[in-house]
Amino acid sequence: MPLLVLLRRSTAQARFVLGGCLCLLAGFQLILVAQAASIEESQAFGRMADLLPAFLQRGVGSKALLLASFKGTIAFGYFHPVIAVLISILAVYFATEPAYEVESGLVDLELSRSLPRERLITRSLVLALAAPVAASIVMRVGTWGGLRMFASPSFEPPSADMLLRLQIHLVAVAWCFGAFALAIGAGARRWSTAFTICTLTTVVLYLLDYLAIGWRPAKVISWISPFEYYPAFSIMAGPVPLARNLGVLLTTALAFTGIAYWRFSRRDL
Amino acid sequence: MSAAIRADGLTKYYGPIVGVEDLSFDVERGEIYGFLGPNGAGKTTTIRLLLDLLRPTRGHASVLGLDCHRESLRARREVGYLPGELPVYPDLTAAGYVDYLSRLDDRPVPPAYFEALRRRFDVSDVDLRRRLRDQSHGMKRKIGIIQALMTRAPVVILDEPTSGLDPLMVEAFNETLGDLRKEGATTVFLSSHVLAEVESTCNRIGLIRGGRMVTVGTLDDLRRTSPRRVVIDFAAPVDGPLPGIPGVTIVSATTRQWILDVRGPLGPLMTALHPFPVYDIQAESFKLEDYVMQFYQGSRR
Repeated sequence: MPLLVLLRRSTAQARFVLGGCLCLLAGFQLILVAQAASIEESQAFGRMADLLPAFLQRGVGSKALLLASFKGTIAFGYFHPVIAVLISILAVYFATEPAYEVESGLVDLELSRSLPRERLITRSLVLALAAPVAASIVMRVGTWGGLRMFASPSFEPPSADMLLRLQIHLVAVAWCFGAFALAIGAGARRWSTAFTICTLTTVVLYLLDYLAIGWRPAKVISWISPFEYYPAFSIMAGPVPLARNLGVLLTTALAFTGIAYWRFSRRDL
Repeated sequence: MSAAIRADGLTKYYGPIVGVEDLSFDVERGEIYGFLGPNGAGKTTTIRLLLDLLRPTRGHASVLGLDCHRESLRARREVGYLPGELPVYPDLTAAGYVDYLSRLDDRPVPPAYFEALRRRFDVSDVDLRRRLRDQSHGMKRKIGIIQALMTRAPVVILDEPTSGLDPLMVEAFNETLGDLRKEGATTVFLSSHVLAEVESTCNRIGLIRGGRMVTVGTLDDLRRTSPRRVVIDFAAPVDGPLPGIPGVTIVSATTRQWILDVRGPLGPLMTALHPFPVYDIQAESFKLEDYVMQFYQGSRR
């Protein structure tokens, strides 16, 4: 099946990037659990609560205090800025592959065969969807390994349900950026241009969401940031309805995916 | 039966820039067609339009009667293609690269034919096992030619196929084209700057300049229509004017020598020269290179 052939080739080509990111993510969770266990053992979370920035407490409310706990620190690994941005960029990396193929001329050889054009977009879409899922799975493995290795049975770990909700939102945000990158990559002639635009957009939108916690002008436009629809503190505080936030993220991802197919089908390669 | 390749008013603009304009030509089945033109003339644009990689501004093209855009998948199934610059995945071995390309569609690669091509182009098992990043330009070119031919597609499009090949491999390539011509089952559309190669292998030649086809014909057609330089030396000074002969133009005339450009047969000129004390006549034979160079120089101007 040509799609499987394309998927295998792209995965093989990106094996070091993918493998490196997955190891980094699993290692990060492992270290975070080790660090949380160490703080818990020394009963220092109480003092940490005093160190939380005032604007965070004002913006998020008492839920911010959840960070200063064993389970809160572990859960933070699922919405830490580095992690959230890294997973989104991983999706961007795979989603912009069509631009690389156009730039390198590989598209000429691939599409001189009886391969439908849209198959290249489908391949990148599958990888941009799968990479964040794989990332969230290895993070979970890292958390599990960390709890087994470093946590005392008396410590209260985050619930599986809470972690799953965090994972789902994290993956949905990454899909959103992946779909955006797919739309950009489907029309770009240079991979570096597409990748840079999408990476910068991811970082800027993260910062916008972060600023919106304590700065009113940012709050007004923070609805454009996918991170706005990842209510990590609310998820930590207790079950929240999934439908609205995930609905917005997935609808946006779907719209960008549609744009990507449309652009790639009409463009000169 | 429809032509193997047909372009009808094919036009492609890149914004204000003309890629090709009103390009119309037919390539007959089983023919080896040389597509010549200076850099930027529109050769690669034409090829990429045939492969539906570019979408025409107007006009259309077909391969074996299949519209290159509307029936693109079916049309591309009939084509083997070698791009001017062979793009590679550097981490793949040559064998892996060929295998990857052959798996992208379901066209079978006859193993015996693949082996024959491999032998002809002197690609060893060791070469196949080496990564493409470690291969020379010439070896990559050979791999490119093999992948274009290996499915025995009825239409083969080759963009500058021999660039970077050593003379032995150019010979091997010419032999391969000779075999294809003999078999008559494959149409080859070949763009090249190597005029000697086109001259020795192609049935017909299309010359493109500034995005427009300026001439199409067999070598005989071109020979008949292109002027030949004729230099006539006289044994004694002559003052008489050159008699008006259709197809003859004077480049220079002195009492001892006339230099003329002659189109068509030399017979009428020979007859007209009868009263003159002709000492020597040199008629340059037709050279495709000279013929093409006029157009190249014209495009530079």
